[in-house]
Amino acid sequence: MSGQSSASAASSASPPGSGSAGAGDTFQWPAVPVRRRIVNAGFWIACFACLAAIVIPALWLAIGIIVRAVPNFQWSVLTTDTTGLGGGLENAILGTLLIAAGVLVVAGTISLLTGLYLAEFATGRHKSVLRGGYEVLSGIPSIVLGYVGLVTLVLGLHWQFSLMAGVLTLSVLAIPYITKATESSLAQVPSSYREGAEALGLPASWALRKIVLKSALPGIVTGLLIALAIAVGETAPLLYTAGTSDANPTLALTHAPVGYLTYFVYAFAPTNQPFKSANIVSYDAALILLVMVLLIIIAGRVVISISRRNAE
Amino acid sequence: MSAAAPDVVGPDGGAGLPLSRRLGRALRARVRNGDLIRWLGRAGAVIPTLALAFILGTLIVKAWPAIRVNGWHFFTGSAFNEGSFYGATVKTNGIAHPPGVSYGALPEIVGTLETSAIALLIAVPVSIGAALVIVERLPRRLAVVVGMFLEMLAGIPSVIIGLWGGFTFGPFIANHIAPFIASHVPNVPGLDFLRGPTGSGQGLLTSGLILAIMIIPIIAATARDLIRQVPLLPREGAVALGMSDWECARRVTLPWVGSGIVGASVLGLGRALGETIAVAMVCGINLTTVATNLYGAMTTIAATIVTQLDGAFQDATGFALSSFAELGLVLMVITLLVNVAARLLVRRVSGTALPVGRGL
Amino acid sequence: MFPLFGAWQTAYNKTVTNVNITTAGTGSGTGIADAAAGVVTMGGSDAYLSSAEMAQNHNLLNIPLAVSAAMISYNLPGVKANLKFNGTVLAKIYSGKITTWNDPAIKALNPGVALPSTKIVTLHRSDSSGTTFIFVSYLSAQDPTDWPVGQVGTTVSWPSAPGALAELGNGGMVSGCAATKGCIAYIGTSYLTQTTAAHLGEGELANKAGKFELPTPASIQAALASFSGSTPANETQSLINTSAPTGYGIINYEYVIVNKKQSSAAVASALKAFLNWTLTTGSTATFLAPVNFQPLPASVKALSQTQISSISG
Repeated sequence: MSGQSSASAASSASPPGSGSAGAGDTFQWPAVPVRRRIVNAGFWIACFACLAAIVIPALWLAIGIIVRAVPNFQWSVLTTDTTGLGGGLENAILGTLLIAAGVLVVAGTISLLTGLYLAEFATGRHKSVLRGGYEVLSGIPSIVLGYVGLVTLVLGLHWQFSLMAGVLTLSVLAIPYITKATESSLAQVPSSYREGAEALGLPASWALRKIVLKSALPGIVTGLLIALAIAVGETAPLLYTAGTSDANPTLALTHAPVGYLTYFVYAFAPTNQPFKSANIVSYDAALILLVMVLLIIIAGRVVISISRRNAE
Repeated sequence: MSAAAPDVVGPDGGAGLPLSRRLGRALRARVRNGDLIRWLGRAGAVIPTLALAFILGTLIVKAWPAIRVNGWHFFTGSAFNEGSFYGATVKTNGIAHPPGVSYGALPEIVGTLETSAIALLIAVPVSIGAALVIVERLPRRLAVVVGMFLEMLAGIPSVIIGLWGGFTFGPFIANHIAPFIASHVPNVPGLDFLRGPTGSGQGLLTSGLILAIMIIPIIAATARDLIRQVPLLPREGAVALGMSDWECARRVTLPWVGSGIVGASVLGLGRALGETIAVAMVCGINLTTVATNLYGAMTTIAATIVTQLDGAFQDATGFALSSFAELGLVLMVITLLVNVAARLLVRRVSGTALPVGRGL
Repeated sequence: MFPLFGAWQTAYNKTVTNVNITTAGTGSGTGIADAAAGVVTMGGSDAYLSSAEMAQNHNLLNIPLAVSAAMISYNLPGVKANLKFNGTVLAKIYSGKITTWNDPAIKALNPGVALPSTKIVTLHRSDSSGTTFIFVSYLSAQDPTDWPVGQVGTTVSWPSAPGALAELGNGGMVSGCAATKGCIAYIGTSYLTQTTAAHLGEGELANKAGKFELPTPASIQAALASFSGSTPANETQSLINTSAPTGYGIINYEYVIVNKKQSSAAVASALKAFLNWTLTTGSTATFLAPVNFQPLPASVKALSQTQISSISG
C-alpha cells in the first residue's frame, strides 16, 4: 500500500483476500462515524485554505504591481536617468548592479575563505568560536547595520554617501548566508574523496581545488545567488550609506552617492508622493526588481538541475 | 594537514641555488600543501567575528551617553521626545543634550513585540497547513509550482511588499476586514482590543499581516522539507490502525517534526523583529502611544529608526544619535536572544542551523 | 522645495552639462543635517539653522532663495466653504482637546457653515520637517499656553490625539489626507494643485491682526512686506504670524543650507554659479508659479547674493 494515499484507509476499502479463492462471505469493515469523516474533511479544507492564504497574496501582489507598472511602462525607462519627480531608472539599475557586484566580490571572497577554513581546516574551540561569530552576525537587524555603517563609514571615515559604504554594509548582511552555504556544501562532500586523493599522493591544494570545491560548487553558487538577492532587494542598510543619485554611477568608491532601485520604490511610493510621474517610477522600479528576483530564482534552479545531471 | 609533497631536488639538496629560486620553490611547496589557502582561510574567517565585535562595540560606545541620561525611563516612558533643537543646550550627568529631552521607547518595544507576535500567530498554523497539503495531497508538478511560489515570496524585496501594503492591502483591511471583525466580535470585556475605531489601514493589524506574509515562506519551506522526511513506517502504522488524516497528522507527523518547526518559527520571529522598511510603510508611525486597539497606528523599533534617523542629525549635541544607538542596541539584544534560541533548537533536530529552505 | 529643485535641476542641466545635481525629497531636517555633516553640498530647508547648530559649525550659511507658505488642508467632502482656523483652535486640535469637526470652538470661527460630527484625524510629519517647524511656530506664536515654545522644532513630540497619523514628507501628507475622511494636515503650498485634485479643502488662517486669509500671492506679499525691513545679515528670520491685516500667517523663506568652505575651488564656483542662477533665471514665474512660491524682495535678494559670494573652496 502506498504511503501517499492514506485518506481512504478508514472508509470502505476492499477487504483482504481470504484464503480460499471465490468462496465465503466478504468481510465488512465497520462504518466510520460521520463525525470523524466531517472532522477529516474539515481538516483538509482548513489546510487548503492555508495554501490559498499563501498563494493568493503572492498573486495579488505580483498582479497589483504588474497592472500598475506595465500600462505606463516605456522602454526608455531603462535608458534615461531620474529627474526630480519623474524620468527613468537607468541610474538606479546601474547602481543596483554595481552594488550587487561589489557585494558578491567582498562578501563572496570573505565568506568563501571563511567557509573553506571552517569546513576543511578548523577544529574544536577555535572552530566553534569562529562559527558562532558569523552566525550571531546573521541575527543583527538590517537597520542596525545601516546605523553602524552611517556612523563609522559615512561620517567617521568621511566617506560620505558612497558605493563603498553601501557595499561594505550589505556585505556584512550577506556574509552569514554565503558562509553557511559554503560550509555545509563542503561538509557534504564525502570524505572518501579527500582520502582517495591523499592516498594517491595528490597535493592537498590540488585535491581541494579540483575535487572538493568542484563537488561543492552548486551549493556555493546557491549561496552566492542568495547574497545577490539580498544585495538587489535590501533598502534599509543602503538608505543611510549609499544615499541616492540621479546620475549614473561612476566607479568612484567614496565621496559619490549611488542611486539604487529600492530607494525609488520607497521614496516615490504613492503613500509618500502624490505626483503621478513619481508613482510611475516607483512601480517601474518594483517591476524591474521582480524581474531580477525571478531571474535569480531561475538561475538557482538551473544550477540545481545541472548539478543533478553531473552527479549521475 | 597532509605531509609536504617532496620537492624535486638535486643531489646537493638544492643548497647551491640562488635565494630567489629557493624562496620560489618553498612558496610553491607551501601552495601545494594547502598552507597558503589555510592561511588565507584563517585570515578570512576572522573577519566576520571581528565585524561582529566592531558593530557591538560601536553601538555600545555610541549609546553610552544616552544610556546614562535616559536611564530606566527609556523602557517605561511613552513619548519619544527629542527635545527642542532650537533651545539652548542643557547638561545632565555631564552629557550635553537639548532641553526637554525625554526618550521613552515603550511604544516602540511593545509595537515590535506585538507585530511579531501577530505575525507568528498567523504564520505558523498557515505554514504547517500548507506544508501538509503540499506534501500529502498535491500532485508532484503542482507541488513544484507551489515551491516556486514560496521562493518568489521569500525573494520579493520587502520594500515592494510595503508598497503593495500601502496602496492595496492596507485600504482593503481598513474597508473590509477591520469593520467585519470589529462589528462581529462579541461584547465581552476581554475582547475590547478587537473593537473600536477601525483606523485607516495603517496600523497594528496591517503590520502584523504583512510580517506574516514575509515569514510564511521561511516556515512553510522548512515545514515542507521536514514533513517530507517523516519516515513511512510510522505513517503506515497509523493508517493501519485506522487513523484518519487529521489524526495521523496530529499524532504522528507533527510531533515528529515539532522541534524543527519550532526552530524555523523562531528564525521567522527573528526576521519579523528586524523587518524595517515594509513595516515603516504600513504602521502609521505613532511614536507617542501604544496602540489602543488592533487597528490603531503604532510603530516598531526598526521603523522608528529608519524614519527618524536623518532628523536626528539636526541635534547639534549628538544626543539624538546616541539615543538611536540605544534603541538599536535594544533591538539587537532582543533579536540575538531569539536567534540563539533558534539555533539551539534547530541544531538539535537537523544539522543545519540556517534553513536556507527556499526549495533550492 | 523638492518639486522646485527638480524643475531647477532639469532646466539648469540643459545649459550647464558638467555639473550633476541630484535632488532627494526628504524633510528639512535631513537637508540641514546632511549639509552640516558635509554629506551633501546643498541642503534644502523651510527652517533656518538653530543657534546651537550655528555655534557648533561656524561655516554653515542659510541662504533664502524664495518665499513659500504652508497651508492647512482638510478632508471634508460635504463642506464647500474655506474653513477658518486660528492658532488656538489648531493647537487644541493637535493636542487632542478638540476631537470632532462640529466642536463649538470651530463653529465659533465658522458661523453659518454646516459642520459634520466626523472625528478629526490629525496628520503630522514623521520625518524632521521645516513645514512642521513653521506650523508649530505659528501655533506657539498665536497661543503659547496651548503650545509652549519648547514644543517648536523640526521634530516635535506630538501630544497624543486620537487616531493621529504620521506621514513621510509633504507628499505623504497629501496622500494620507486624501485617503482619510475627516483628516486635517499642514502641507507646503507647493502641493496646492495636488490637494485640489484630491478634493481637499484649504483653510483660511488668522494673522496677528485677527483677520483670516488664504495663502494667495497677495497675502504672502503683504506678510513679506511686514518683515523684510528687518532681515539680519545671516538671514535667519521667522516670518510667522504677521501683524499685517491682509497678510498670511504661515510664510517662510525657502533656505538652502551650504558650507562656506567647500571641498575645492571648482565645487565652490559651480555651487555659486548655480545659486546665483536660481536667484535670477530660477526666480521667474516659469519656475515659481507652478509651486506657488514668491520671489525674494529686492533687499533680501541682495543679502542672499552677499552670502553666496562668501562661499569659497
